[in-house]
Order: sequence, then structure tokens, then C-alpha cells
Amino acid sequence: MTERAWPPLIIVVGAGGVGKTTLAAALGLLSAEQGEETLVMTFDPSLRLKDSLGVGDEAKDEEVEVTSHLWASLLDAKQTFDRLVARYAPDEKARDRILHNRYYEHLAGGLAGILEYMAVERLFEVSKSGRFQRVILDTPPTRQALDFLEAPSRIVGFLDSGALRLALRPWFDADGKLRPTARLGRLGRRFESYLDEVVGLDLLRQMVEFFQAFAPLFDGFRERAREVESLLRSSRTLFVLVAGPGEEKIPDALFFARRLRETGYTLGPIVVNRMHPPVEDLQPQSDPAEDEVDGLALFQWLGERDARGFEELGQLVGEDHPLVGLPLLENEPSNLETLQQLARQFGERVQEF
Amino acid sequence: MTSRELIVVTGKGGVGKSAVSAALGRILASTGRQTLILEIDPRENVHQMLAAPPSDGEVVRVAANLYLQHLQPRTVLDQLVRERVRIDFLTKRVLESPVYHHFTEGAPGLRELAVLGHSLLLVQGRVPGAPAIDVVIVDAPATGHGVALLRAPRLVSEVIRQGPVASLTEEVAELVASPQRCGVVVVTLAEEMPVTEALELRADLESAVQRQPDLLVANGLYPPVPVGAAEATEEEGARRLWYRRRELNDVELERLASRWSGPRVEVPLFPLDRGPALVSEIERSLAS
Repeated sequence: MTERAWPPLIIVVGAGGVGKTTLAAALGLLSAEQGEETLVMTFDPSLRLKDSLGVGDEAKDEEVEVTSHLWASLLDAKQTFDRLVARYAPDEKARDRILHNRYYEHLAGGLAGILEYMAVERLFEVSKSGRFQRVILDTPPTRQALDFLEAPSRIVGFLDSGALRLALRPWFDADGKLRPTARLGRLGRRFESYLDEVVGLDLLRQMVEFFQAFAPLFDGFRERAREVESLLRSSRTLFVLVAGPGEEKIPDALFFARRLRETGYTLGPIVVNRMHPPVEDLQPQSDPAEDEVDGLALFQWLGERDARGFEELGQLVGEDHPLVGLPLLENEPSNLETLQQLARQFGERVQEF
Repeated sequence: MTSRELIVVTGKGGVGKSAVSAALGRILASTGRQTLILEIDPRENVHQMLAAPPSDGEVVRVAANLYLQHLQPRTVLDQLVRERVRIDFLTKRVLESPVYHHFTEGAPGLRELAVLGHSLLLVQGRVPGAPAIDVVIVDAPATGHGVALLRAPRLVSEVIRQGPVASLTEEVAELVASPQRCGVVVVTLAEEMPVTEALELRADLESAVQRQPDLLVANGLYPPVPVGAAEATEEEGARRLWYRRRELNDVELERLASRWSGPRVEVPLFPLDRGPALVSEIERSLAS
């Protein structure tokens, strides 16, 4: 792996439970070993990087040095969102109005992919700062892990959608009654009572208030979302796709690979992680117990299953696409030493991106 | 577990949640209870486990006393709007409105609530056209923790305080809070990260809804090292990997034993692809 071949931004994607976080950390180690100031960011409510890299909650606030040239940070969506609000709010009053809205806390977590958006937002912040020569982002552990890629455009879409314009209209009069329904007569009253019945007008009032409070921030937010989007699509941003072994994991991997390619992101190597190696020593020890025979037969089956899956995936993604198989290790990488083992395995198999 | 109305099977992606859900479904169905497995994952796969056709949103009968439904939370919400509004053109406008779309996508807990609400309506016979169901097994989405699902009623009741959604929310909250009516099954692998997460999940459940899981399934265990087996040498790659991975399993099983009070069951790794044969094996492990 030559220095030149490593892009400044690497985003590790894949289904949950395939070892994304661990691989991101291993990539970070590899990069740091080349002497590059490297940051590994993880966006994961269970904070697993903490275990792998030995960093604690302090990494939520700022980057923490793990070892020479290697830094780690934990992404916290709510915190990032609070920071954003503070940055784009025209004044303190506007900021507080948002931060104290009863709905904000809930909405901040759920609205239109904001949680996912915060990952890329933070990534952008860090890569703009120029403090690191390389940033490696681990992504949320969801089956729809690619949702976060669309987060910037979803945010822009939402900001530009009729939803927002609608919300910003003066819906409620001074008495807290819905305004436009009065003009609609009987149908309007019916609509109002429907809304009240189904969601409760109180919720709508909260939402409207939230959006109105948020309005002054939109321009800065929209522009930022666009920049983030173009960062993700840059040819200098590389996606490493991690998949689990075995045939049944192929659809997941293919799904990710296709989506990434179709939407114009740069797909780097596909890593099939934790493969059971082929079994050669089928000769049991002298006078084998039945358990011994069964156990080895299981490993033979697993080895064959994983090799078959690897081969099939290779054919499906195209033979010239880099596909890397990493073996299941005897020890689960959970400290720097075992991470290094994984990093070496990866480094041996990938010469360049 | 045999008298519950709702069983939530939770765990992170790739731990075999669907296979465990299918096996649980078969066990409950064999006791004569009308059992429905509700799958929420965007991609259907429980039907493969049971050798059934895909559900495509409908309730499908897969065996005696056993049904399957694959569901998008959106569908449930849309249905609710249809029922409430009952004016065609208005319904259409509501369903197509970006406000509705963003609201249902974004409103915290609403989708999760829809899943639980649908389950409740099923066991109460309030879903038109559905068969009588005694128990619903929810194969919870791999996304995040199952805690989000169980916390949803409380979250929603904070922002929606009146109307039919609010009353459904209240009913669901009651169901989820009752250990007699709602069971929680946590599926994990006996590996460091998954076990850590299972323990976190347990703590979250406790603090969010004051519930404890009813059962922990430690899935995909490598076979025990044969008694009296000699240390595997460097050359014996497979044997070495096997013994070593089993030792890791044992370390985690021990950690679970010391920190997880309540029933636990161990399910070995089988040399079988996902499908009915695998489900039968898991069923046997669970039943014992």
C-alpha cells in the first residue's frame, strides 16, 4: 500500500455485526504506521471503538490520541446538533428558543435522518480543520447503513420541501385554534378534528414552533449540507465495504455495492471479513472421539461455505474489482496488538486502493 | 413464555434473530397457540426459514397454528390515516403530503409504536381480515437496540396526548410494561462485542421500561473442546482455531453467567444453511 494510493477520507460501510468498527480501527493503525496523522471516527451508540482502541467517553468531546499518529473520536449526534444550532443561530435568543423547545430533543434525534447527517457533518468539520492527513469514518450499524449517505440531500430536500413552507405559515391563531380551517368551512372543521384526534394539536403546535424557531438557521444549514454532499462524492473519498462471510451474506454485500456505485460514490475494496479458512488437517488425532470428528466436520463445512460465498461474490461484483478475504482470527481484535494483526493481514492483501 | 401475547426478539444484525424467531414460533404453535411472526426488517427472510412464500405485507399461514407477516411500519400508519379520515380525496392528500411523510418518518417512536400497536390489534382480533391470533412474535429490526421499540410508547405519549393514537399508545404501554403479557428475548453471539451489547441492552431495558429480558439465547457456539483433547499444534490450523474460538465463547458465557440473571439457553453452530432444517435444530436446542 503506497502512501500516495491512500485517499484522505475513507468511509467504512457494511451491515451490522461484520466487524466494521474493528476494521476501521485496523485501517487507522495501518495509516498511522505510515506516519500520517490519522483520525478514526465512530458513530455508534454502543461506542465499540472505545473497547477496540481503549478510549473512553472523553473522545465524545474531542479527538483522543490512541497511539503515535493515531487519534480516535466518538460521534454524538445530539452534541453535534447542539453545536450546529449554536453556530447558525443568528443570536442567543434564537438559539435558546430552539434548544428549549420541548420537541427539539425528540426531533433532533429522529427528523429526516438528522442523526445520520450528524455523522457526515462532523466528518466535514474535522476534514476542513486540516488537522489530520487522513480520516477514517466508521458508519452506523444499521442494515440500511447507506441512509446516512443520503442524509445531506434529504436534509436539503426537507428544507426545500413544501413541508417546511407549510410549517412556517401562521397556522394557529392567538387562541391556539387552527387558522386555515376556518376558511374551509365544514370540511376544515372536520380536518381539524381529524388532526386533533389522530396526532393531537398540541404536538403540531410544538412542531410548528420548532420549525419557526429553526427558520433563521436554514440558509447556513442548507449550504453546509451541499458541501457535505460534494465531499462524500469526491473521488478522494473512498468507501470500503465490509461483508460477513458465507453465501447468505452475499445479498447484503451486493446491495451495498450496487447502491454505492449507482449513486456515484467511489467504491474501494470489498472486504469479506472473518472467513473460516479451508480445513486441511482433517486427519483426527489417533483414536478420535465422536466430538472430534463432528467438530472438524463443522469447520470443514464452514470453510467451504465461506470460500463458496467469496467466490460467488467475486463473480457478482466483477472480477476486476478488488475483493479482500480476511480470515477469522484466533483472537477477536480487542486491543492494539490484535488490531495490528488484522491490520497486517489487510495490508498484505491490498497493495493499493 | 407460554401465555404471553407479545414476544419481542431482539439483538443486533447477524446474530441469528430471524432463525430464533422462527424456532420460537414453531414451539409456541406446537402448544396449540395461534402464533404470528411479525417481521419488520426491510428485507424479508423469515419466510425462507419456514419454507413459506414471502408475505408481501399479508398474513400468511405457514403451518398449523403458525402465521407470518412481513410489515413496513409505514403501511400501518397509512392504514390508520385511512381508517380515521374516511374521505377519499382527503386521505389521498394526507398520504401524499410531504408534511405527513416527514412527520411519520421523523416523529420519534411513531414507527416503532405502529409495529407494537399492530401486534396488539392482532391479538385482540381488531385487524380486519386477519385470523384470530394468541401471540405475536416480533422479529425486531436490527437497527439499534430493541429498546427503541419498547421505549416508543412512552416517547410517543409524551408528544401525543389525545385522540386515538394516544389511546392506542396507552394500551401498548400497558402491554409492554406487563411481564405477564409481553416477553423479551435477547439473542446474542458468545463474543466480546455482542455480549457487551447484550448486557448494555439489558441495562437500557431496565432503565427505560423497567423490564428484564425473559430469555437470553447465546447463539452460534462452536462445539466444546473434546474432553481430554491434546493442545492443538501450530500445524493443526482448523483444530487450533476451533479450540481457540470455543475458549473465547466460554469466556463470554462465563461473563454472561456472572452478570445475567434469568434464564439463558445455549444454541450451537450447526453445519446448515439458513432454512427449515436449521430452524428445527434451533427449536430442539431451545426446547431442551
